[in-house]
Amino acid sequence: MNQEHIALFMFASMMLMLFSGQRVFGAIGAIAAIAAITLWGVGGQDIPFSAAMKLMKWYPLLTLPMFIFMGYVLSESKLADDLYRMFHVWFGNMNGGLAMGTIGLMVLISAMNGLSVAGMAIGATIALPELLRRGYDKKMVTGVVQAGSSLGILVPPSVVLVLYAMIARQPVGQLWLAGILPGLMMAAMFVIYIWIRCRINPELGPVADDLDTVTREEKIKLLGAGALPLIIFASMMVPFLNGWTSLVESSALGALAALIVALLKRRMTWKIFHTCTKQTLGISCMFMWIILAALGFGAVFDGLGAVKAIDTLFTDQLGMSPWMILILMQLSFIIMGTFLDDTAMLVIVAPLYVPLVGELGFDLIWYGILYTITTQIAYMTPPFGYNLFLMKAMAPPEISLRDIYSSIIPFVGIMILALIIVMIFPQIALWLPQYAYQP
Amino acid sequence: MKILLKYISFVDAINIWIGRVVMYGLFILMLILLWSSVSKTFFTPSLWTLETAQFAMVAYYMLGGPYSILMGSNVRMDLFYGEWSLRRKAITDLFTVLFLIFYLSVLLYGAIGSTAYSLGYWGADPINFFFGLVTGSEEIGRLERSPTSWRPYIWPIKAIMVTGLFLMLAQVLSELCKDIARLLGHDIPEVKE
Repeated sequence: MNQEHIALFMFASMMLMLFSGQRVFGAIGAIAAIAAITLWGVGGQDIPFSAAMKLMKWYPLLTLPMFIFMGYVLSESKLADDLYRMFHVWFGNMNGGLAMGTIGLMVLISAMNGLSVAGMAIGATIALPELLRRGYDKKMVTGVVQAGSSLGILVPPSVVLVLYAMIARQPVGQLWLAGILPGLMMAAMFVIYIWIRCRINPELGPVADDLDTVTREEKIKLLGAGALPLIIFASMMVPFLNGWTSLVESSALGALAALIVALLKRRMTWKIFHTCTKQTLGISCMFMWIILAALGFGAVFDGLGAVKAIDTLFTDQLGMSPWMILILMQLSFIIMGTFLDDTAMLVIVAPLYVPLVGELGFDLIWYGILYTITTQIAYMTPPFGYNLFLMKAMAPPEISLRDIYSSIIPFVGIMILALIIVMIFPQIALWLPQYAYQP
Repeated sequence: MKILLKYISFVDAINIWIGRVVMYGLFILMLILLWSSVSKTFFTPSLWTLETAQFAMVAYYMLGGPYSILMGSNVRMDLFYGEWSLRRKAITDLFTVLFLIFYLSVLLYGAIGSTAYSLGYWGADPINFFFGLVTGSEEIGRLERSPTSWRPYIWPIKAIMVTGLFLMLAQVLSELCKDIARLLGHDIPEVKE
């Protein structure tokens, strides 16, 4: 067998293991261990463990539990209630306003944590029941919550971009800045979509009729709720961008800020504290063990020289242009994302694709954004999207899996459009980091 | 059968206890990082914070791993799996868990070798080295240090990793026992608190 065949065989057996339903890290790790030992014999058995030592030295990974903890504090302590109320009062008196407000809410939540789970939890448990009660179209609002929460991984702080940064060896700060404009652009596109739909058919988003009793003073007071995400966001980003703290230290500051705010608002009970801490351990361990296994897998792949082999296959043997390969990669990524677990996909696919992209001569910061948007799409597409199942678990019972599946179609369309726009105009992503880090 | 159930409850109890302690390690990690930013801003930057934080993180996920398995936090690809009956899940797991056990064993063996190295043993048979340490026929050699300006000894964190991997293996074996017990008609819930 030559190297390409071994690589292909490893990949196929890993997929088979994954489909058997064994824990993802076990499936990846076992194939890596078996391949390492059969390929290299004595000495090969050290490859899985040396991945653990490598993992220890990956400093930015320390942000992971911090951001996860922040997300749980935000969603478990119901800190976002006031925030939702603010959008409600300010946007409720127009058609579709609450749905647009929900997108705004999601952007703010995204600015406070690095995963999409918190936004999803807040959207599904606070915004969704309220929107349904007011007669908003079930399908539209389900899509709004899903699409909006996926912004969590594009708007800084973003865990996905941290992982990407480590794999691509790019500065996290620049990647985060690069994510801001595309994130806001995508949010704006969602809002425009909702506006147009409600313009054509006002029944999709009826005007809230109970807002006349809210006085101007109350309205202004509620704006104070908007200060909350700003405080948490600023406590992380200001020291980081000024270079006072490193990325990891900033994430600890952010987690502390979220905890303090929850305490001051008297939303933090022992029970919630315990739940947050426990869930953080569970999710962090899930991530860490998968990354550990994938690093071992990647080391074997590297040893085979598989990336180089795939590159020659595409450019020399098939004679494709770099752009064509890039588009093919994004397409295959979306397809893989529909049936692979997202975390696994992230850590398996990135080590394969990122060096290839670099080899083809593309900007890796820009590709990081394309990569994240594609992950967002993959998150949401059936049959296997993490978000879809989370949504089903969290949403009110009258929303069926079928509703969830069909609700995302227009939003996935918008995301693909956003992806194409960023592909054609790289400056949307690159302008801000270049401006901030200009020599 | 009785032994099986005893093993399950024994290992689960230990790992739940460890998990409950380790989960608060998050705040130790947070404190280290906060001290790091404080010392950097107001005093002389500390040398030890970065590495200590890394060690804390390793301990956190290594020792917390078994508890995360107990909680069922480790994702599976449940495209098909999610639909199956408990019995069918148990039968499949009975087979596929062997792969997981193999992976963890390889990890553990690597960890033991690496720990022996950090204690100054450079040979090819680390397990005998540790037996030798107990019986007195082997001695601790030159201790490995981290190549940074703080230069901490490396063996404590490696020992923690060995412990974590050992517990992980014990937990996965307990999961295997649970599947066997399920197939023999015992009613065991999928997720424990």
